Amino acid sequence: MPIKIALAGNPNSGKTTLFNALTGSNQFVGNWPGVTVEKKEGKLKGHKDVVITDLPGIYSLSPYTLEEVVARNYLIHEKPDAILNIVDGTNLERNLYLTTQLMELGIPVVMAVNMMDVVKKNKDEINIQQLQKELGCEVVEISALKGTGVAQAAQRAVSLAKSGEAVMPVHQFSEEVEEALHNIAAQLGNVPEEQKRFFAIKLFERDDKIKEQLQSVPDVEPIVKAMEDKLDDDSESIITNERYVFLSGMIEKCYHKRNRQKLTVSDKIDRIVTNRWLALPIFAVVMVIVYYVSVSTVGTIATDWANDGVFGEGWHLFGIGSSDYNEVAEEYDLASLKTEAYLEAAETAGLDTEALSQSIADGEVDQAALSAFETEASAAGITAEAEVLDDNGEVEETLPVNLDEFENAVAVSEPDPADYGVWVPGIPVLLEDGLNAIGCADWLSDLILNGIVAGVGAVLGFVPQMLILFIFLAFLESCGYMARIAFIMDRIFRKFGLSGKSFIPMLIGTGCGVPGIMASRTIENDRDRKMTIMTTTFIPCGAKLPIIALIAGALFGGAWWVAPSAYFVGVAAIIISGIILKKTRMFAGDPAPFVMELPAYHWPTVGNVLRSMWERGWSFIKKAGTIILLSAILLWFLQGYGVENGSFGRVEDLNNSILAVIGGFIAPIFAPLGWGDWKAAVASITGLIAKENVVGTFGVLYGGLDEVAENGWQIWASMRESFTALTAYSFLVFNLLCAPCFAAIGAIRREMNSAKWTWFAISYQCVFAYAMALCIYQLGMLFTTGAFGIGTVVAIMIVAALLYLLFRPYKEQNELKVKVRV
Amino acid sequence: MMPLTMAKAGESNSIKRVGGKEEIRRFLENLGFVVGGDVTVVSENGGNVIVSVKDSRVAISREMANKIMI
Repeated sequence: MPIKIALAGNPNSGKTTLFNALTGSNQFVGNWPGVTVEKKEGKLKGHKDVVITDLPGIYSLSPYTLEEVVARNYLIHEKPDAILNIVDGTNLERNLYLTTQLMELGIPVVMAVNMMDVVKKNKDEINIQQLQKELGCEVVEISALKGTGVAQAAQRAVSLAKSGEAVMPVHQFSEEVEEALHNIAAQLGNVPEEQKRFFAIKLFERDDKIKEQLQSVPDVEPIVKAMEDKLDDDSESIITNERYVFLSGMIEKCYHKRNRQKLTVSDKIDRIVTNRWLALPIFAVVMVIVYYVSVSTVGTIATDWANDGVFGEGWHLFGIGSSDYNEVAEEYDLASLKTEAYLEAAETAGLDTEALSQSIADGEVDQAALSAFETEASAAGITAEAEVLDDNGEVEETLPVNLDEFENAVAVSEPDPADYGVWVPGIPVLLEDGLNAIGCADWLSDLILNGIVAGVGAVLGFVPQMLILFIFLAFLESCGYMARIAFIMDRIFRKFGLSGKSFIPMLIGTGCGVPGIMASRTIENDRDRKMTIMTTTFIPCGAKLPIIALIAGALFGGAWWVAPSAYFVGVAAIIISGIILKKTRMFAGDPAPFVMELPAYHWPTVGNVLRSMWERGWSFIKKAGTIILLSAILLWFLQGYGVENGSFGRVEDLNNSILAVIGGFIAPIFAPLGWGDWKAAVASITGLIAKENVVGTFGVLYGGLDEVAENGWQIWASMRESFTALTAYSFLVFNLLCAPCFAAIGAIRREMNSAKWTWFAISYQCVFAYAMALCIYQLGMLFTTGAFGIGTVVAIMIVAALLYLLFRPYKEQNELKVKVRV
Repeated sequence: MMPLTMAKAGESNSIKRVGGKEEIRRFLENLGFVVGGDVTVVSENGGNVIVSVKDSRVAISREMANKIMI
């Protein structure tokens, strides 16, 4: 039997830091059964037989928050061998309030007074001996951040646990209350002696959840009622007051504050940071920095490196040689453009260029064919014009090409990136070489390279960027600013059912929804967190930008307003969903009124920030290995297999794939949205791997092109044949709002920690997207062409239903209700 | 007696009464808002206030602050 030690303490008391210091990397993270509260366990460093359980941060053992109930149930049922109670030395009285309750459980308690370095720096004094005597438990001074006294505290807890001595609480309430408690305890027949006081107090407080845990509940109402009448207060307040009276008296004896400064440094910072006028500007600056570094600059570099380097062809170590290579590669691109233009002109003029073109394409120029061609071309006096195209496929520059230039251009050979700097080949390249070397079957290497590596790689490519972002989040969280953000933004977000902290996931979601969803973990309130997870991906992420560019370019002539309108649609979807959802039964009921403790500002340690970053990143990587892997393989199969030339097998043409069949099957569903074309349906499905795939699929289906530019200008013309501006916008809105990519769905699954909630979130997103796109198309048709049909009626009904859901009366409940199976 | 929202920033006041629904009141009491205890408004932002109670800083909404009488 391993020794079980529970780590208990207030939120912000340094509990997590202490837990990390005690267990190092020996941690298992999970959830408490039935709830989304995170459970962490770990083995004590150097003691394989000691398991430490990190209880949620709590202020009391009352039944009013989920965390309290979870912690309380664990302590009563699992009966750990000892409790290591960490208290914040700079805030002793409030922290000891919990300690007095822990002492009553009949479990040996060791108290670790944390932040002793700060206490000493403030020249305050805590009389440890006195504290020990007054509370009746062992007291150790520690600084979790600096690691001092930590091992000693753990050692004490271990030896106390081994001795198995049940401690009796020393603290006493006023005589009359003690007498009442004594009378109640006397009626608790089958409760172990050391737990009697705890149950007596809970019964006195009329704690219903405790009654459920007792085999027989004695009727103590007369005792409680008599006491309430006598003290003219309700029983629970009586106990709370008794505790604080005891603590105030004790604090005076044990705690000497040297300088009673009214405003601490932390308060002074708060005066500025949460100031009425400065709060929002300061917040904006902080967010811009976070966004700029983790999404725009360093984040983009990291993502490009991961996607094009590690999961692409390869990369230059430390970027050495990459600028040289790019220069040469650009030269080569220009040269091949000229070569092509010249050969084309020659062909038009009737010259035979086939042999030469083929040899150039193969990379080995046939010198005989070349000189023969040159003689002919010179005789025919051929000149050509090479067109340099910009990003939108417009001609940017026209360069005349004569024979001399053609000769020079042909001589330019394709540069090999490996010749510049230190070239590290990407994983697909290495794998391909490896698979070829072992003579792997074609279908298997196709599965590995195009299915697994391409699919999972597309997702893992975001990991470096996420890690950068998580560093920022961890820093903001542990320095104390995150709590202030919630305070500043709360009043705005509260209006549509979200929390002040919802802003951060949404901002990050503009870069990538995956870290955005994962950032929602900083939201404590269960309802707020679920709503945030469900709505974060409505914001157009980086991968959706190519879709917007394609639609804007192809159907709206590149109108400036299309992209901003996409963000507007996203924000509107969040606000509408927030208001609608908070009025539903699923979300109503347990919104917490805004009450939260603000930890004092302090510098976090590098180790803690990195650990927090890694924990979040790793849980995502693990997800990529399971759910995302399976989805990628499935879609690879649907995309690559089908019936071609009368037999089932690997198909070259996406038009013949199973996916195309499925697309044709489900396409009618999208007919009311104006794009009942199977190609659009298939593109939406491939968007599940990664949203930018929508553009690539369009390239294949509309242009027969394997590769298109990011905004797909090559297929603009053929898209104009299948779409109108209205149907295209409806398609855009649907793809912006519907289920996100697999990576994001995986993140939703991870954060919801429930399959049911994940399905609900995905279904809600799809239904909402469908309804929005339907309204846009049908009402758009009504206004532009006057067409009126069943679709129009449905659209009007949806709008009416939305307006009802938005404006139906609702009263935010001012209650803290927790429904937990006890 | 006046609600906490009326208190001047930086001034220490004694709590006279904690109102509101039972659960809320319990939660506030556990955080240190007990009758007879001292409370100081540190900062105010759009109606929400940050107060100092029992040596810790707690942010509460205006609705809650209105229910704490000093």
